[in-house]
Amino acid sequence: MKSSSITSVSVKRVHIWYALIVFVFAIFVVRLFYLQIIQHDHYKTAAQSDQYKEYEIAASRGIIKAHDGDRTIPIVLNHQLFTIYADPQLVKDKKKTADALIKVLGGDRKKYENAIAAQGRYQVLAKKVTQEQRDTLLKYKLAGIGAQAQEYRTYPQGTLAAQLLGFVDDAGVGKYGIEQSLNKQLTGTPGELKAVTDINGVPLAASEDNVRKPAKSGNDVVLTIDIGMQKQVEQLLQQGLQTAKSSSGSVVVLDAKTGAVKAMANYPTYDPANYAQVTDANLFNNMAITEALEVGSVMKPLTAAAALDLGVVKPNSTYYDQSKIKVDDAVVSNIEEDGGPGTKNIADILNLSLNTGATWLLMQMGSGELNRQGRQAWHDYMSNHYLFGKPTGIEQGYENPGTVPSPTSGYGLNITYANTSFGQAMTATTLQMAGAYAAMLNGGTYNQPHLLESTIKNDGSVAKNKPKILVQRAVKPEVSKEMQPLLEYVVAKHHFKRKFSDAYSVGGKTGTAQIANPAGGYLEHDFNGTYIGFVGGNTPEYVIAVRVDRPKIAGYAGSQAAQPIFGDVAHMLIDNFNVPTKG
Amino acid sequence: MAMSRQRFAVRNQNSVSFRSTDRRLGPITNTVALIILACLLGLLYLTQVTKTNAFGYSIESLERQQTQLKTEHDNLEVASARLQSLDRVQNSEPAKNLVSVAPASVVQN
Repeated sequence: MKSSSITSVSVKRVHIWYALIVFVFAIFVVRLFYLQIIQHDHYKTAAQSDQYKEYEIAASRGIIKAHDGDRTIPIVLNHQLFTIYADPQLVKDKKKTADALIKVLGGDRKKYENAIAAQGRYQVLAKKVTQEQRDTLLKYKLAGIGAQAQEYRTYPQGTLAAQLLGFVDDAGVGKYGIEQSLNKQLTGTPGELKAVTDINGVPLAASEDNVRKPAKSGNDVVLTIDIGMQKQVEQLLQQGLQTAKSSSGSVVVLDAKTGAVKAMANYPTYDPANYAQVTDANLFNNMAITEALEVGSVMKPLTAAAALDLGVVKPNSTYYDQSKIKVDDAVVSNIEEDGGPGTKNIADILNLSLNTGATWLLMQMGSGELNRQGRQAWHDYMSNHYLFGKPTGIEQGYENPGTVPSPTSGYGLNITYANTSFGQAMTATTLQMAGAYAAMLNGGTYNQPHLLESTIKNDGSVAKNKPKILVQRAVKPEVSKEMQPLLEYVVAKHHFKRKFSDAYSVGGKTGTAQIANPAGGYLEHDFNGTYIGFVGGNTPEYVIAVRVDRPKIAGYAGSQAAQPIFGDVAHMLIDNFNVPTKG
Repeated sequence: MAMSRQRFAVRNQNSVSFRSTDRRLGPITNTVALIILACLLGLLYLTQVTKTNAFGYSIESLERQQTQLKTEHDNLEVASARLQSLDRVQNSEPAKNLVSVAPASVVQN
């Protein structure tokens, strides 16, 4: 009876314990149900905010290459440097930290101490720190001090072609030159990494939610310029400007047959690696493209070619030049060395740089007088054959289209158009002039002046840039052939420091352009000097355009300041760049 | 007495007995077994996840190495380009010893 009672109590206890365990389990189950099912989203978000990290993988900017003879070499590359920063809230020993920073990075103690003591959680201590400096600094294991990698543009050739290349600002955006114009191609697509990470930020491979999209580097670009030619052109320009006592100028060397820019130099220049130190923003401009000027007498060959193309004159046509022509209330006259009144031909107009001759050519376009017909015909040539007043579309930022006056509306149209026939009252850039000369001399095809030769994509494939033909027939091929000896004649009749060999064809024309006075009229004592010419064998190989701003040397700006630079560049090309001989 | 022995003798003649062996696991055993099974499965899952995650560290290490090598490559490319720069070549000792072939005289025409 007693034993039976004990067994009954034990069973009861077991049942109670069993019920208790079940109850506790039930509590767990209910609690877990609440946490994992009902509060699922809340806790998932809370957990992910700690564990799920999103990183942007920076894309490398494409590099810029150029020709060095037969090979291509990089002239703008990326270089990884570091930004050293502090999180002031985490810095423990401020003195020790400042000591280490001074030891490794140099600089001012006060600057570091102020940064470390500042409010906020991100204080930049130093930029463009090298890998070695960064490694040394991190060895100190300073709490609250970190390093962030950043790519910077580096220029192994220093200031070479600075304005043509442009630079990349701190936000990674290309400014000026090629960097601006081809920014889209050069900029890559950043990648992204979204992953559940451990406490050190290392992605855990087992997570299903990980997203890994690799960065896509920007395309590399190959330019048409030859760095050897560019270097020499820059040197010759600088020397020429010093001799001419001018503070600024440009030279463009264009492949006459293709429109490819082989060299494009400006002076003064700047160091693109230190663009932030430049105080005058005008220095960033590629003056050969961004600044249009009244070009002066270099326009006369284009006027002659237009008249020949229209068939209103022949290469051997003559006229009687009275040294001045009255146009409405104004008088067009020549420079003093015009040889006086007499019978002149087109070669004389170019050689003696006769303003009256250029006006006479314009009159022939109007059936012998200055009128609407002549103005419209010449306007058509300026705008639609030589493309003045329109940007060339070269891969550069801030291209200036220049200006061409209307032939039908405005004041004093006849004298205005007489002026345009010898390069006044209209404006064009040095590049536009080179492009128009190339079209006039290469058989009549206006190829778009361009700097981009090819693009190298991420997968290594090369896409050649097909330059556009802007005008199929700027002038007839026969007119083009007639213009070459006319310009050779001008060179033959002018003095050059070093004579050109008869084995080569060299031609060109000077220009001494008046400068518009902002107060009205023209400046009395300041002129711009220009020279556009070519060098080649049977046909022109290179077109060379020179611009010299306000030279202070005695004599005409075109012949005394710009022509010597043309001569030096032409000889340099003959000596070094395999210009074919006649034959 | 003999009668009663005989009676027993008849009753004990079958020495083989058949007993029902219908054994069943109780609820506690079942619960424990299920918990152990769940634990084993959990352990298996954890070992696999840990193993997979360990690859994350290998990947991280390899990626770090790849980045370092790329940076090193880029730095060498920059150094190479600098060494070949025109200014450096122009100012090099061999270049300084070269003789200019440009004509010395000035010809006027």
